[in-house]
Amino acid sequence: MTEVAIGIDLGTSNSCVAVVRGESPEVLPNAYGEGITASVVAFQDDDGVVVGNGARANVIHAPRTTVYSSKRLIGRYFFSEEVKKARAICSYEIVEGPNHSVRIKVRDREYSLPEISALILGEMRSIAESRLGHPVTKAVVTVPAYFNDNQRQATRDACRIAGLEALRIVNEPTAAALAYGFGKGLSQKVAVYDLGGGTFDISVLEIGKDVFEVLSTCGDTFLGGDDFDDRVIDLLADEFSAEHGVNLRSDPYALEKLKVAAESAKKGLSLEDEVEIRIPAVIEASDGRTLSVERRLGIAEYAGLVNDLILRTFKVCDEAMQQAGLVTRDLSGVILVGGPTRLPLIRNAVRDYFQQEPRADVDPDEVVAMGAALHAASLISSDQKAFLLDVTPLSLRIGVAGGLAETVIERNTPVPIDQTRTFTTFQDFQESVRIRVYQGESRQAAENALLGEFAFSGFARARRGDVKIEVTFEINSDGIVNVTARDPATGQKASTQIALSSGLSEEEIQEILARGSADAVAPPLPPAAATSGAAEDLDVDDLDVLPDLLPDAPSGDADAPEGGARAGLEVELDPDLADLGPRDPSGDLFAPSGTDLSAGADTTEEDPGASAPGSSRRS
Amino acid sequence: MATTFAPAELRALARLLDELDYYELLEAPRGTAGTALREAYHAASRRFHPDANRRLDPELRGTVERIARRVTEAYSVLRDPRRRRLYDEALGRGDGPRRLQLVESAATATQRTRDEREGRTPQGRRHFAQATADIARGDVAGALRSLQLALTYEPDNAQFRTRLSELRDKTR
Repeated sequence: MTEVAIGIDLGTSNSCVAVVRGESPEVLPNAYGEGITASVVAFQDDDGVVVGNGARANVIHAPRTTVYSSKRLIGRYFFSEEVKKARAICSYEIVEGPNHSVRIKVRDREYSLPEISALILGEMRSIAESRLGHPVTKAVVTVPAYFNDNQRQATRDACRIAGLEALRIVNEPTAAALAYGFGKGLSQKVAVYDLGGGTFDISVLEIGKDVFEVLSTCGDTFLGGDDFDDRVIDLLADEFSAEHGVNLRSDPYALEKLKVAAESAKKGLSLEDEVEIRIPAVIEASDGRTLSVERRLGIAEYAGLVNDLILRTFKVCDEAMQQAGLVTRDLSGVILVGGPTRLPLIRNAVRDYFQQEPRADVDPDEVVAMGAALHAASLISSDQKAFLLDVTPLSLRIGVAGGLAETVIERNTPVPIDQTRTFTTFQDFQESVRIRVYQGESRQAAENALLGEFAFSGFARARRGDVKIEVTFEINSDGIVNVTARDPATGQKASTQIALSSGLSEEEIQEILARGSADAVAPPLPPAAATSGAAEDLDVDDLDVLPDLLPDAPSGDADAPEGGARAGLEVELDPDLADLGPRDPSGDLFAPSGTDLSAGADTTEEDPGASAPGSSRRS
Repeated sequence: MATTFAPAELRALARLLDELDYYELLEAPRGTAGTALREAYHAASRRFHPDANRRLDPELRGTVERIARRVTEAYSVLRDPRRRRLYDEALGRGDGPRRLQLVESAATATQRTRDEREGRTPQGRRHFAQATADIARGDVAGALRSLQLALTYEPDNAQFRTRLSELRDKTR
């Protein structure tokens, strides 16, 4: 039997699976004959788990045990704004796990986000297997282009838990462009406007025959169809509160009914100019009367509610066009992706912005999975028919003194790529450095996403500036980041690669796998103990700790001026040095010359992280 | 379609990687730009991109990925006018191919701004100082000449360029 690999679009609201049999991709429908399956997991009283459209129906009856839109939370820290927002609007319980990770608590069990995603992936896999009539073990899985390394890693972990080998993690808009342009021998530039349930991406690509080169990508991982629904929910809840003095948002059952009504109003407005919203017996008043919601909603009023959200997408489009160095008339096609783009309101706005009619021959719900299937088929065939050349959506940065983060690889740089930077120590005779890696667009370290950190020691001890530490940053074609440190003098290498501070450790994944694949109905994860030593030492509250790395003369820069490195550093850091002493909590790393170096002993606490080989990275 | 390389060739190429300049790596003549440069990048990607080499054994796959990362770097430098100018200058100095860092570090940027204020090369500094003196004396024609001379030594000095165009605007 020939090898088969499927393509899975793992969406915030819905997921879709496709395969290539013969020449062209086809969507594999679920047992109900539907092409898309709700990304909803319902945990039932009898310990059973239902995934998909059956689970969605459960939301209203069992809001506390039905998990939806979990993709919004994957790969995020518990303290992030996005998680705070989700906690305010989700009817299931979101709790803090080890290392500031996010867990979903259902009854007395806690599930990590990769486990929830694995259940959805498992469902998509079994849909494929029942349609194909044989087992499937390989897949290309898509993610929003704007996902950072943490989110991509977590998605990869989900694949492993689901027993799927992720051949590639591909960006959703890139997959859509592939489905649109595959085998057509096109030579044109296109934009992919991808408004999903929870995320917005815009990618600008140049298609040159069989090569799909992404010129730029920009996005917002917290803007999607759900936000459109929230506006309607707010309107209904506010009006209800004014009229009856009852807050529907505080009742999970009522909130879910509002959510369903808002979503169906959105869908209705894709077809008609006005819809009727009716929620009979939405709640029981204190006097025992049942109250209902009844209201008409017209397209103009709806437009007023969501107009700023649509404008926000075009701000992002401006950025992407500018990064690609193009104007709208350079584009030969605009491809719409995601359910919300069915709204005439959005289609018209997109047409006005890009000055052209969006392609009508692409199904916004299925195009991503079809592209993923095409790429999956291409990867397992001996004769590759298409090449995806993608970019990194976010700048990769390293933490330096003063709470700053210096760019090493700019956003929209093509991948795979690597860059090596040489750094020096912050203090004389320093024994250990802490290397923090970030993704984002701010010079302030704390305003970026922390991907991980590790301690590096064992380099030659010397005066500040005389020590050289080479740090190599790699981004692979899945957009996943790897960082290693090396002392060029001793050849000593940091054996710990970048350790993700949230998410699952290798040990945790092994444990989940050992419990039985994707069987999330299993004992809850043991608390913090399960994390690896390296990850445990991390303290992300410590973000304003002054890191002990200083930029040194770049090794690759041909024209390093005489004595330039040190001079340049002082210029750069003078303003910060003044308040360095008192605030510097890494002072224990500092052993002044002439005194004995016992102070350095404190640093050994951090060292196990550096000397535990490969303790926290998984492939 | 993609040309396949024998494992020995791939290993040899990986060993040579640091000795090849970006043009050689992309098999593109020195002047290559625009569409031709893009096509050279696409051709190299067809050969070296990890997607095209999934069937190799893991060790060799690692080798090819290293080449692929360098190909991307070469393209990222050569398609960007500022980076390309810096790279070409370094090549022109004849000290062999060296990788150009894609983003200059904050320290280098600060140093560069400082250098540009007065000049980075002895000759550049001398002529720029002369131009400043010329302006102080009111000798505009002399200042123009001095600035042009300073720029022949440091063609990428933004500070010199700005000064020159300001002066030209004034004399118009």
